[in-house]
Amino acid sequence: MSSSEALRIEDSGPVRHLILNRPEKLNAIDITQHERLMAAFLEAERNSDIRVLALSGEGRGFCAGDDLTAEKRMGPNPHAKRAVDLEMGSGPAVLLESCAILRRLTKPTVALIHGVALGSGYDYSLSCDFRLVTEDIRFGDPRIDRALWAAEGWSYKLPRLTNQSVVTPIAYLGRLMNGNQALEYGLAHAILDIESDIREAARPFLVALSLLDTNAYASTKAAILDGLDATFEQSLTMQATHP
Amino acid sequence: MYTSSSDALHVEQRDAQLRIHFSRPTINYAMLEALTACVLEATADDEIRALIVNVSADGDDGNDMGPWPDRLRHRHPEGNHGAGPLVEQDAIRALRRFMKPTVALMENVVNGLAIDLAAACDVRIASATTTLTDSRIHQGRTASTGITYMLPKLIGQSQAMRILLLGETLSAAELRRIHFVHEVVEDAEFAEHAITLANQIATMATRAWEVHKMQVVPQLDLGFDAAMVHSLGIRQTHVIEDRAEGMRAWREKRDPEFTGR
Repeated sequence: MSSSEALRIEDSGPVRHLILNRPEKLNAIDITQHERLMAAFLEAERNSDIRVLALSGEGRGFCAGDDLTAEKRMGPNPHAKRAVDLEMGSGPAVLLESCAILRRLTKPTVALIHGVALGSGYDYSLSCDFRLVTEDIRFGDPRIDRALWAAEGWSYKLPRLTNQSVVTPIAYLGRLMNGNQALEYGLAHAILDIESDIREAARPFLVALSLLDTNAYASTKAAILDGLDATFEQSLTMQATHP
Repeated sequence: MYTSSSDALHVEQRDAQLRIHFSRPTINYAMLEALTACVLEATADDEIRALIVNVSADGDDGNDMGPWPDRLRHRHPEGNHGAGPLVEQDAIRALRRFMKPTVALMENVVNGLAIDLAAACDVRIASATTTLTDSRIHQGRTASTGITYMLPKLIGQSQAMRILLLGETLSAAELRRIHFVHEVVEDAEFAEHAITLANQIATMATRAWEVHKMQVVPQLDLGFDAAMVHSLGIRQTHVIEDRAEGMRAWREKRDPEFTGR
């Protein structure tokens, strides 16, 4: 799959890096970028050479969220039938779908977060299996400070990734986390000490993931995600019939 | 400002906040009924943008809960098991279904039923010397007010079992560590801090808080796919009028002035 200027795709052996590359806008995401990401997730899933997917940002941060200054799409809108918001158009539905695809990838997915990860950038990171962060990040969902909608799946994922009590400071009060708080809440898996490039700092973790058995990883991940919605007996039955 | 005091509750409406605290150190039916009525009334009152409940209490009154409410006379159970927890559940249900911000203030002692009320709120702050104990297990009683559902989701099953099954006494610092309370404040500063926090929350974008909470709470019981449809459905059927002010303030680099609608 080819890179675009706004979304760089770089392979390091079996590790595929998707790099948000609009540093002048702190990698804010417009609807075209959501579409690029969605296509890139699907392509990585189909590509048998790729064993790990890492999402990161170029420049000073991971992602500042939705691009609120983006111009309206001109010409035919392929998502017209999915518009759910009079002002934001189909954007929320596309982000929701894109995050859902990322969450269900069978391969390991990792968000490498430095600088800021806000709004939709935070949404994408919650859809990854792991989040590696730097200590000085500003990570969270300040949309409530602007009375903006946030309805892209975080409300299901956040209480399950951490617990319901942690939803209050993050989602209701809009407080941003630094790396240590993200680690304390269980949202971050490790704090990276980076001298230059977060992708380089994360390399040992990504390589270790790439060495895991692909089938075992995929079936264990599916069992965890399916198990979140199942009773204990249902989980046993699913695993007995799809070992 | 509006205030009312009774044998059950002290209620004060200050600006957009409704502040409630119990009139007695242990909870009885009259207090629970008054709390439920207050919460339901505040639900329908657009002027109210935050509910502040001081839940501090040494549990319920056990076998001396006072007269069974007349509205439930047809549901008073007969036999050896005594009255069911219908009154308690109604109060918890009303608090949990209140979609505007709810803040639980915890001071001194929080025991038994007071824990359940705190768990039904969004934000919990405690004074530094507060202790929390669920003594029901030591009394051979079952906590049947929904706390066995709420607590594992709030803080994880492991910590919930510690509170509900072992009946351990937890300090405010420990409650903060396990994320049951969101802030611990020195006793001398607690009252002032509670007011500051309440003022801040009551001027936030109340409608945005509501639609966030409207997603989180029901989705605890939904599978992923159903939750996604639920989120889109909420989005299509609710309007946040303050969004325009939020965007204007962002563009003009100033603090927004939200109406709560």
